[in-house]
Amino acid sequence: MVRNTTLGSRAFDIANIVLLALLVISCVYPLWYTFCVSISEKSAANAGLVTIYPIGFSLTPYKEIINDSMFFNAFWISIQRTVLGTSFSLFVTVLMAYPLARPKRDFKTRNMFMWILVFCMLFNGGLIPWYLTIQNYHLIDTIWALVLGAGVPVFDVILIMNFFRNLPKELNEAAVVDGAGPWSVLFRVYIPCSIPVLAAVALFISVYHWNEFFNGLVLSNTQSSYPLQTYIQQLVVNIPVGTNLTPEQYKKLSELSNRTLNSAKVFIAMVPMLIVYPFLQKYFVSGIMLGAVKE
Amino acid sequence: MKRNLALLLSAALLGVSLTACSSSNDSSNNNVKASSSPDSDSSASPALSGDDLAFSKFPKPVDVHIGMVVDPTDKTLPEGDSVSNNQYTRYLKDNYNINVIVDWTAATGNDFKQKVSLTIASGKLPDGMVVDDRSFMTKAASSGLLYDIGDLFDQYASKQVKDIMASTEGRALENASYKGKMVSLPNITVDTDGVHVMWIRKDWLDKLSLPVPKTIADLEKTAKAFMDNKLGGDKTIGIAGPSKNTFPYSTFLVSSNNMAGFDPIFGANDAYPGYWLDNGDGTVSYGTTSENTKKTLAVLADWYKKGLIDPEVGTRDNTGDPINANQTGIFFGPWWNGGYGNGDSFKNDPTANWQAYPVYSDDGKWNTHMKTTGSTYTIISKNAKPDVVKAIMIMNNALVRDEATFDLSVAVGWYPLRNVMAAANETEYEYTELTKVLKGEAEPEDYNVPNSLYKLMYADAKKVRDVVKPPYDELGVSNFSTANFGDFQRLYSLLIGDRPFATTPIDKKVYSVTYNQTPTMETKWANLKKMEDETVLKIILGQQPIDSFDKFVKDWKSQGGDEITAEVAELLKK
Amino acid sequence: MRKLGHQKHYYLMLLPGMVWLVMFSIVPMFGILMAFQNFNPGMGLFKSEWVGLENFKYMFQLNDSKTVIVNTFIIAIGKIVMNLIVPLVFAILLNELRSLRYKRLVQTVVYLPHFLSWVIMSTIVIGIFGYYGVVNTVIGYFGVDPKLFMADSSIFRQLIIGTDVWKEFGYNAIIYLAALTGVNPNLYEAAAIDGANRWQLVRNVTLPALTTTVVLLGVLSLGNVLNAGFDQVYNLYNPLVYSTGDILDTWVYRLGLQNLQFSLATAAGLFKSVISFALIYISYRLAYRYADYTIF
Repeated sequence: MVRNTTLGSRAFDIANIVLLALLVISCVYPLWYTFCVSISEKSAANAGLVTIYPIGFSLTPYKEIINDSMFFNAFWISIQRTVLGTSFSLFVTVLMAYPLARPKRDFKTRNMFMWILVFCMLFNGGLIPWYLTIQNYHLIDTIWALVLGAGVPVFDVILIMNFFRNLPKELNEAAVVDGAGPWSVLFRVYIPCSIPVLAAVALFISVYHWNEFFNGLVLSNTQSSYPLQTYIQQLVVNIPVGTNLTPEQYKKLSELSNRTLNSAKVFIAMVPMLIVYPFLQKYFVSGIMLGAVKE
Repeated sequence: MKRNLALLLSAALLGVSLTACSSSNDSSNNNVKASSSPDSDSSASPALSGDDLAFSKFPKPVDVHIGMVVDPTDKTLPEGDSVSNNQYTRYLKDNYNINVIVDWTAATGNDFKQKVSLTIASGKLPDGMVVDDRSFMTKAASSGLLYDIGDLFDQYASKQVKDIMASTEGRALENASYKGKMVSLPNITVDTDGVHVMWIRKDWLDKLSLPVPKTIADLEKTAKAFMDNKLGGDKTIGIAGPSKNTFPYSTFLVSSNNMAGFDPIFGANDAYPGYWLDNGDGTVSYGTTSENTKKTLAVLADWYKKGLIDPEVGTRDNTGDPINANQTGIFFGPWWNGGYGNGDSFKNDPTANWQAYPVYSDDGKWNTHMKTTGSTYTIISKNAKPDVVKAIMIMNNALVRDEATFDLSVAVGWYPLRNVMAAANETEYEYTELTKVLKGEAEPEDYNVPNSLYKLMYADAKKVRDVVKPPYDELGVSNFSTANFGDFQRLYSLLIGDRPFATTPIDKKVYSVTYNQTPTMETKWANLKKMEDETVLKIILGQQPIDSFDKFVKDWKSQGGDEITAEVAELLKK
Repeated sequence: MRKLGHQKHYYLMLLPGMVWLVMFSIVPMFGILMAFQNFNPGMGLFKSEWVGLENFKYMFQLNDSKTVIVNTFIIAIGKIVMNLIVPLVFAILLNELRSLRYKRLVQTVVYLPHFLSWVIMSTIVIGIFGYYGVVNTVIGYFGVDPKLFMADSSIFRQLIIGTDVWKEFGYNAIIYLAALTGVNPNLYEAAAIDGANRWQLVRNVTLPALTTTVVLLGVLSLGNVLNAGFDQVYNLYNPLVYSTGDILDTWVYRLGLQNLQFSLATAAGLFKSVISFALIYISYRLAYRYADYTIF
């Protein structure tokens, strides 16, 4: 990049560096806060006294987690779900994106399919019919309910489709002249050219799968089939006090507000994403032009 | 190579989903099949009656499918046991030949509510489940999903269960019925769950040589003294208040167990917000709209302005946090809020001497609103076989009879379809009798009465001398041993928390004309309640002047309040 | 006309996705019928009583519905606009950084909040804006009295929009950053040689490279004008801020969960879908007619 060294430009550089540094701090803060709460003394954490540094020191929550087989079970389910779900959705998404990226003269019914997709993205019959449908497929309480529940992310189909459309037409034509059919054009030409955008979409989908808790709750029948976020959510979430709880229930309830333990669980749940992201990020910086951009 | 693998994998996935689809038709009546194993008539055994029938063992195993609430943090199940195989399910299997099959579980609170509403919406109930909201029961009943259990209840409920039901003078039965048919087993909880008292740190009072506050004016001085002397640290909170999920007072729909509300303050001003009041002349009024409620709100707003009430009232995540962190020395709640409700407070400060007292009106009266009998319901699917219904009755009988004898190192919450039934005065009875045991006027063995109405009495009597040490004249936290923390919590709540209700006569007990929704409420109440919650909190926090109360009353009446009041007045006539 | 012979392959490629759509999206759509019924779970979808448009009429009669729809629109549109602009500004600022290592660091860190769900984030937000939280401590240094932010209905919407933008800006910027890396560096050099200063470079090179991305994202997010973010609002609101914070989704959730009004909930959902679909269709036509741009 060209160096520009006027005074105003320098001042801007400094202001920019400071501003971005503040943003960085604000973004690290939740992580740091969670960590601080997780290692603080329980009473200080519950009183809401922990703000920027831990108060007291205790590793009890982490010791408890090591002994919590449910936590590791949920962790494993989340990993399975993320790997299977991402492969499935990515595969289907790419297969759909290719024909939809053909111009209308090549693929006559393209627009109809496109609108069906958009329609399905916006309309749904509500939670209950959806649940009943999945129940009728006998998928409830299996990992497949979670894997297939996400299915075809229409937004991502559009993203990849636009990217395909922007690939130079010569690529396609040259391959066709060589006698290649649509399948080999897709797999031999388009996909190798699109690794960065596919990596981005893979990340979108896997983040969704890793963070999603509601399907995990609705589509599972027992705690032992919960994915990690669902498992954590049921621990962290607030329970309205006063709704007919017996004393024993309330006793449990007060244990639920164990902020230190919950924070430790939340912190550990974030770790896998933090590890995976830098690897995928490599693809972004290597120079993507996402499907969003059209000449 | 990798690419082909991915392809293969996805194709395999697809295959699964397709076969899953095609096989869905032939097994769609799965539910019916599953519960049909006890189809054969098992009442072939000789004609039994009374408690023999109530505790009879099925000749052939009976499968009972249930949906169940669980506590996700519970760690008391031994290794290898599960929700459908633990000491309680084995007990039911061994003694009554009942096989409990857990169709689904969900965590206490909203998770469970969600699962129940989904189950009701899908119209496919498990044989039995315990719902914690009457509207779930009535919705299921009005949709024709529930079993009319009246006859089977008469035959199969144990004498103990019937006695407890009778102790409510028919209110429990009415509560459990829909359009005159008994469609659920109600829970019955102790009356004192609905009596809210003041919890105060006696050790703090002693430190400042202050007397126990009696009236609203005394309370204000005491709270101020606690704050001025920073007894709870720099951030001492005068009086704890409700969180974002709880309310300033209990209401006719949720009439009990309101931790850290302001119920006693309202009572001391002869105000009963949230209750339908019988005016004595054939008319009814809604307590929130009264002048006394307005007066009390003005007091609370004044306190908030002076910083005496938790500044984060109404927005806090968990109402128990400042109490457990010992930031505050005053809060209001029922008997079990001290002990069961604030265990961490004692752990964080073993000298925290929480004591319970009534708050009196200026002319020395103790007024309190009273709760309904209970509000959780065991509902049984219309499609359940009669044997399954009988099995559920027997499970309930067994729980009521044997709960005290169970090994409670495994939380009793794992008992399938546990729905508490306790005699309405159980806590007061235990308070009186346990005091006798402590003073040597009675012996634990005196309470070894099988099938007693007071099912936990004997077990508590055996423990009490180990947990509570003399002198007995003025019990405080220093009298208690916390070695077994569960026992400590129970006995602390019983002996300290229920002392006011057990020993001090109440001058005015106020019951709501109804504790259930009327037809118009089903559509209009959500809106009115929202308006009420918003106005009350805003007035307390000083975001609205106290005069806005009058406008609220007017709006409330015109937006359906009058219509509903008329409906409730009709109920009074009956 | 060999190309037309490919059609069957195209259909084959669409097949897995379409099978999924039929199974998991179109089949459950029969549930929409509930909106026109007084749904009775005991009778099921096909035997329940038909009531025509009663549920819709009732919905709009409720006093709450107006408040709720207005709140939803304001919060959602605020989010859409801010979520387009803030990440854009951020991406440009980041692009202006000279130190590549710092740039990389910033880029790696700002996505962090995105990975935290609102269940978790809400406890942090309530902590930060709490009575003894960081914000009140800081304004305390300037002599301002502590304020109960979470209970103030006059700023609740701003709080919702602001925290959402803060949580998502790093992640939303990924697409912009990706587009920027595609810009030919020669363009900058050429412009600089022509004597353009930094602002002019941004205006004439960087911004045009991002325009299409902004348009596409903007148009696609039009479908969200009635999505104000259930998870976030549900975890942050309280009765004190109902007047400005209660949105369509939380309202329906309360009605549905408390009163089990399934039909009403479905009607509200359908209302949302229809409006969103109409908006997407309009924006599609507009973009096509005036910019000759096919979004999809």
